[in-house]
Amino acid sequence: MRALVGKLVGSQETGLVVVLGLLAVALTVLAGSHLDRVTGAIVNNFWNSHTLIQTATDASFFAIMAIGATLVVISGGIDLSVGSIYALSGVSMALFLRAVGTASPMTTTVLGLVSCLGVGLACGLLNGALVVGLRVHPFIVTLGTMWGLRGIAFVATKAQSVLVPTSLTAVMKASLGLGGGLYPVPMLAMIVVTVLGTIYLGRTVMGRHIFAFGGNLEASRFAGLPLKRIQIGVFALSGLTAGLAAFLGASFYGSTSSGDAQGYELYVIASAVVGGASLTGGRGSALGAMFGALLIVLIRQSIRTLHFDQNYEWIVIGCAIIIAVVVDQWSARLNARRLSRAAAATRMTG
Amino acid sequence: MMKHATWTRVAIAALAITVGACSKGDQGGQGGQGAAGKAPAATTKGKDKITIAMIAKSSNNPVFLASRTGAEATAKELSAKYNIQVTVNWLTPPEEDGQVQAQRIQQAVNDGVDAILISCSDAGKVTGAINDAVDRGVAVMTFDSDAPQSKRFAYYGVDDIKTGQSTMAELAKLLNGKGKVAILAGNQNAPNLQKRVQGAKDEAAKYPGISIVGTFNHVETPQDAAAEVVRVDNAYPDIQGWAMIGGWALFTPALVKDLNPARIKVASVDAIPEQLVYIEKGVVPVLLAQSVYLWGSVGVETIVDKLHFNKDVPQMIPMELVKVTKENLGTWAKQLQAWGFTNVPPQYLK
Repeated sequence: MRALVGKLVGSQETGLVVVLGLLAVALTVLAGSHLDRVTGAIVNNFWNSHTLIQTATDASFFAIMAIGATLVVISGGIDLSVGSIYALSGVSMALFLRAVGTASPMTTTVLGLVSCLGVGLACGLLNGALVVGLRVHPFIVTLGTMWGLRGIAFVATKAQSVLVPTSLTAVMKASLGLGGGLYPVPMLAMIVVTVLGTIYLGRTVMGRHIFAFGGNLEASRFAGLPLKRIQIGVFALSGLTAGLAAFLGASFYGSTSSGDAQGYELYVIASAVVGGASLTGGRGSALGAMFGALLIVLIRQSIRTLHFDQNYEWIVIGCAIIIAVVVDQWSARLNARRLSRAAAATRMTG
Repeated sequence: MMKHATWTRVAIAALAITVGACSKGDQGGQGGQGAAGKAPAATTKGKDKITIAMIAKSSNNPVFLASRTGAEATAKELSAKYNIQVTVNWLTPPEEDGQVQAQRIQQAVNDGVDAILISCSDAGKVTGAINDAVDRGVAVMTFDSDAPQSKRFAYYGVDDIKTGQSTMAELAKLLNGKGKVAILAGNQNAPNLQKRVQGAKDEAAKYPGISIVGTFNHVETPQDAAAEVVRVDNAYPDIQGWAMIGGWALFTPALVKDLNPARIKVASVDAIPEQLVYIEKGVVPVLLAQSVYLWGSVGVETIVDKLHFNKDVPQMIPMELVKVTKENLGTWAKQLQAWGFTNVPPQYLK
C-alpha cells in the first residue's frame, strides 16, 4: 500500500494534477458568480458543469492529437502535420458523406468515423514511409506534408466550408442524460483514448519498443528491434489520432474547411512537452499529454474567466511552455546528480 | 516526495496567474468586471446591467479594432445617457478561427453575459454555438459576416454581393470598361468575402472588355496582403486594375510606391486612416468605405434597444457604403476622427 502511494505521489502526472487542482481552486475563488437565466440559480463563473465540460471539450481535440504526437516525440521524432491531417480528414469525411447522401444516423456515424480514421491513418503512414524511405528528418518531412495535405484539402473543397450531416452533430452533442447544453461525448472520447494510449505504451511490447527506440537508437538496433516498423507505426498512430480528433471536431462544430486546425500542431506539441514528453526521445506518457492539453486550455480559460486582457494569452502560454521545459531539464539534472551522489555513497559504505 | 515535475507545473500556474494579474489593469473600463467580489450579473430583459461579449474575426485587423472602439464608446455613452450599465467584453481571437469563435461563444455564455455581438469567420462552425447560446437565454447579434441559418436576432452589415458589384463597377469606370483585372480576396473561407468575390465576378461579366486574370487569397494582415499584390503584379505584368474587396493591402503605406497609377487602377473597399494617403496621392482614386466603427456602435445600440427597452428590432439592418474620393477626403477624415480614430493624418483635417 505504502509502495503504491509512494509511486502515485512520485509519478510525473501527479504534479500536473496538483497544478490543475490549484488552478481550479484559484479560478473558483476568484471567478465570481452570475444568475443562470434558465435555472434562476446563482452559479460560480468557473465551477459549474457547463464551464467544466466545455473546458474538457476544448481540450479534448488537442489532447487526442497530443497523445498520438507523444508517441512520435517518445520515439525522438516530431510531427508538424497533425493540424493538416485534421483538416484533410475532416473535409474528406464531409465530402464523402455528402456524396453518400441521406443515411441513418448509425450508418452516417460509422461511415464518418471510418473515413476520418482512414484518411488520418493513410496520412500518418505516408509520413512514416517518407521518413523511413527517404531517410529525411521527421521535422522536414512533416513540414512538407503539413503544407501539402492542407493544400489537398483546399483544392478538394474549393476553399468552401463543407457542412457535416446534422445527425452526426446530434450524436456528438448527445447530452447522455446530463441535461440541455452539456455535451460530454468529446470529453469521454478523450478519456478513452488516454486509457488506450496508457495501456499501449505501458503494457504492450510495441509500446515498450517506442521507448527503447527513442531512448537509445543504437542499443535498439543491436537488440534487433524492427526500427522501420516502429517509426512508421508511431506516425501512423499520430495520423490516426488526428483523424479521430477531426471526426470529433467536425461533427461537434457542424462543418469543416481547409482552414481548420491551423497552428494547432504547436498546441499539440506543447501539450506533449508540458505533459512531460522529452523532445530528445525516450520519455512521455499518454496521461501526461492529456493533462498537458488540459493545463494549456485551462490557462486560456483562466484569462477569460478572470476577465484579464486576452491579448496576453500567447505571452502567458509561451512563457509557460518555456519555463516548463527549462525547469523540467533543471530538475532532471538535479535528480541525476542526487542519484549519482547516492550511488557514490553506497560504494563508499560498501 | 513528489517528483520534480510538480514544481514545473506549480511554476506554470504561478506564472499564468502573475502575468494575468499584471495585464488586468489594461482591461479597465472596457467591460472587465473585477474578478474577486464581482456582483452577480443581472437578468437581461428590461434590466439595467447588460454585459456584451464582442467576438470579431481577428484582433490583428484594424477594422475590427475600430469596431471595438465604436462598441466601447457607445456602451459608455448609453450607460451615461440612460443611467444603465452597459459593458463590452472583447473576446476576439488573435487570428481567424471559426472553431475558436465557437468556443468563445460557449465561454461567454458560461460567464453569464447577456448578449453576444459576433462577426463570423465560418458560419457553419458557429451556428451550433449561437443556437446553444440563444437556447440558454443569451441574445446574439451578428455584424459584418452573418450566420443566416442561426437563431441570431439581427444582422448589421453591408450587402456583400452588392459590395463586390460596386467595387468592380468603380474599377470598370476607372478603366473605361476594358482591361485585365485581378481580385484581392482575403481569407478564402470567409463566407462574406466569397459573396463579394461572386458579386465582383457577376459585375465584371457585364463588361465584355474586362477580363479577370485571377482571384487572390491571402492571410488578412497588411503585410501579407501587400506582398500578394506585389507578387501578382510581377507575375502578371499586363494587369491594369485591382478590385480589392477588402482594404487589407492598403492598411500599410507599402504600396504607395509600388502601385503606379498610370499603369494600374485600383478600387477598394474600406477607408480607414491608413488608406487615406492612397487617395491623396491618386494611387487609389476610389475607396468604398464600410463604416466599421458603426459595426460596434450600432451593434451595441441594437442590443440595448432589445434588452433594455424591449423594442422589436429588424432582423436585417443594412449598412450603406460611403464612396470616398479626393473631393470628400477631408470630410471623411473628420468623420473618422469623430469616431475616435487617433491616427488620422492631421493634413487631412484642415
